[in-house]
Amino acid sequence: MGHGHHIEVKQEQFVFSPKAKRFSMILMVLGLIFAGLGIANLGGHEETHTAKTEVAAHEGAQHGEGHAVAAHEEHGNVETEAFGPRMEFHPLDKPANTRIWANLMIAGYFFLMISLVALMWYAIQYIANAGWSVGIKRIPEAIMTFIPVPFVVLIVALLMGKNDIYHWAHYEHLGLKPGDAGYDAILAGKSGFLNSTMLFVFPSVLVVIWYLLMRKLRSLSAAEDNATRGDVSFFRTSVKFSAAFAVIFGFTISVIAWLLIMSVDAHWYSTIFGFYNFVTHWVTMITIMAFFVAFIKKEGYLGFVTNEHMHDLGKFMFAFTVFWAYLWLSQYLLIWYAQIPEEMAYYQIRFENYKFNFLLNFAMCFCIPFLGLLMRSAKRNRYVLGIIGSIMILGHYHDVWLMVFPGVFGSGMQFGFLELGNFLLFAGVFTYWVFTALTKRGLVAVNHPYLDESAHHDVGV
Amino acid sequence: MIHDSIIRDRLVTGDKTASDVTRDIARPILNNPMIAWKVGFTLSLIFLGIFGVSLLYTLWTGIGVWNINKSVMWGWDITNFVFWVGIGHAGTLISAVLLLFRQKWRMSINRSAEAMTIFAVICAAMFPVFHMGRVWVGYWALPLPNAFGSLWVNFNSPLLWDVFAISTYFSVSLLFWYIGLIPDIATIRDKVKSKLGKTMYGFFSMGWTGSTRTWARYELISLILAGLSTPLVLSVHTIVSTDFATSVVPGWHTTIFPPYFVAGAIFSGFGMVATLLVVARKVMNYENYITIGHLDAMTKIIMVTGTIVGIAYLTEFFIAWYSGNVYEQYAFTNRMFGPYWWAYWSMMTCNLIAPQVFWFRWARTTPWFIFIMSIVVNVGMWFERFVIIVTSLHRDYLPSSWVMYSGSLTEIGLFLGTFGIFFTCFFLFAKFLPVINMAEVKSILRNRE
Repeated sequence: MGHGHHIEVKQEQFVFSPKAKRFSMILMVLGLIFAGLGIANLGGHEETHTAKTEVAAHEGAQHGEGHAVAAHEEHGNVETEAFGPRMEFHPLDKPANTRIWANLMIAGYFFLMISLVALMWYAIQYIANAGWSVGIKRIPEAIMTFIPVPFVVLIVALLMGKNDIYHWAHYEHLGLKPGDAGYDAILAGKSGFLNSTMLFVFPSVLVVIWYLLMRKLRSLSAAEDNATRGDVSFFRTSVKFSAAFAVIFGFTISVIAWLLIMSVDAHWYSTIFGFYNFVTHWVTMITIMAFFVAFIKKEGYLGFVTNEHMHDLGKFMFAFTVFWAYLWLSQYLLIWYAQIPEEMAYYQIRFENYKFNFLLNFAMCFCIPFLGLLMRSAKRNRYVLGIIGSIMILGHYHDVWLMVFPGVFGSGMQFGFLELGNFLLFAGVFTYWVFTALTKRGLVAVNHPYLDESAHHDVGV
Repeated sequence: MIHDSIIRDRLVTGDKTASDVTRDIARPILNNPMIAWKVGFTLSLIFLGIFGVSLLYTLWTGIGVWNINKSVMWGWDITNFVFWVGIGHAGTLISAVLLLFRQKWRMSINRSAEAMTIFAVICAAMFPVFHMGRVWVGYWALPLPNAFGSLWVNFNSPLLWDVFAISTYFSVSLLFWYIGLIPDIATIRDKVKSKLGKTMYGFFSMGWTGSTRTWARYELISLILAGLSTPLVLSVHTIVSTDFATSVVPGWHTTIFPPYFVAGAIFSGFGMVATLLVVARKVMNYENYITIGHLDAMTKIIMVTGTIVGIAYLTEFFIAWYSGNVYEQYAFTNRMFGPYWWAYWSMMTCNLIAPQVFWFRWARTTPWFIFIMSIVVNVGMWFERFVIIVTSLHRDYLPSSWVMYSGSLTEIGLFLGTFGIFFTCFFLFAKFLPVINMAEVKSILRNRE
């Protein structure tokens, strides 16, 4: 596979070009406009409901009469009740700003996960002795620095909106005892895990650990750049820290997904949920990475990163699209097949009241990228990758939205201006941050022992 | 020009040339069998005999000679089935997934791993087939047009999906293995002396000439088959897991089963590959081809997949508590502290805890230790299936249906007997076909020029 000629790789310094700045700014401005439009439309709900009636209605619907379907449910399909209790919520039961906190929580979670899986990608390249990706390693290295920003947003969103986002937090707040009206034995049984202390402390502790490991890996990488050529000690140390991160992350990421996202549907549970959440962000991160590579190449950097490398990223996008669908199907098929009421509830509301989003989700995350990226020529074409990749990124964001919103609000919500604006705003901040991080050090890991392999797209045999 | 890194280990050591490769790897085929081979083959035949006797007794007397009963309707049989199917996963993973990932270290081990896959799937198939009881009407499991009125397969049943998944997997693996063998069979054809050998190897080499055009086609078909087999690696054990997970049995119905079974299968498959190759490289003197670097890579995969399986165990256990579902909670407490506690803890020790020794470089590079660990892995994976099947079944929803189960002598005999099938096939393979892919290994030699 080796090319006949030798390619000399020199250090390059990335400059945050006006074009890149403009792109981030456009995203942010569009985001603000859409989010503003969305917020302007929120006002209507607040007029019809006060906080007091909300609590009363909530308790009535949730804890009285075994989760009976409330009378004013617009889509109240009687036949669906045959499947047993369902978690009924209504958008009107919640204060209008809940939608803002829920949106911030989703964006915070999504971009936190993107930064973390970038770190995981970085770690896996070291552990697996991957050579081909060394040429583009500065990109995940820049993405992973974003960790603190979405985390702060997430914490703020949870502080402000916790009791309205999480049914269990609201329940905890009521402080019911066995025998009280509305006492929920299932939620009481989970209170050892689902409680406010856990909600803040557990992710915070982990994010600090992950963040420190990220800083360590980044500093090793910077030190390697300044070391003498042929010094592999930084590489070897990076492998050790990468392994440590991968293990910690592997054991804890599911717990984060259960605590923050699965617990939105507080009665529901699915063992695959953590893996599924990991993969949905993993495939998105690879797509984002491919976008950055394409962009900075267009600006004239990384000449030795060729279409072969882009093709590899395209293959990863395709492969993990299929893998995402595999995990999606594993969860859906098994729950559909066994038809156990407490498990069905999750899909029932999504299929009954969010049918459009449910199908759109599968189309954007699987059907379109699968068909779009199947051909070799598609994976090697920047424009095809750009179009399909954009659909994928938005699709996976919408996937997280679909995990959260039906659980928080019940039926009647839609991925609207506020959601789109919020996503674009965050995407703008994210790109701005990553471009800035890219300027902080040379674009090429000049002393990495596998750089030569990557430059020649060789596997070293 | 080769652009390798200063820290990349050589895949083939000992400064071998292309002719050395042919000589080393064709040697066992062209020479008379070694003593070790004869002893091993005889032992395998003895175990094959045990299989034959146990099977005849089962067929003659009926399935009643097994200890399975109305509550524990699946026992050693299905445990063994899942055990062997799992082992059959490493071969195609190595040949297909590692090919797509451009992992060249697969070239020294893919041939034997693929052979192992095929033999393991044969062993696996024995159990569901003979569990049918009236095995002579086994073809009813296929959707064949028939004149029996309403007799038709149930497409809703994961057991039928198994029939399709495993037969597809077997066919594609066999094809992959055979196509990979063609250039090597042609090499043997050109070297073998006997008339019979010339005819047989000549027939199976399909007129291979080694021209550029045949090589181009060979590489193309390998890539296409790799693309087709990669989803198959995932699908087979996914379908096997749905045999359990589509049910409403506590401990079986859980959404993590598909990826967790696949990880477990790769874990046990690599366990078996390690068992075989650690011995083969020593006995057949292939230490320059299956190097310490190969063992290092394999043990890392064992550690990673073992840990994934361990995460799945902990996930299941945690979510059982979290669900608030008393049946789920009971199923897991019963596994840990019920009458089969020893099986559960054997599983945990062998699959989650034991592979963690591979964090140490010494453990990854010491062949005798890897051999012991590979046995531990396989014991652990057998217990895993036993735990899943028996502990969930023996406590039925009605306490009047609660029973205990242990395998009868016939069931044990059948299990031991499948090792006879497996090793008989493997020893024949090692005698008559090249254990290492000569053609591919030649492409990664340093001493090419």
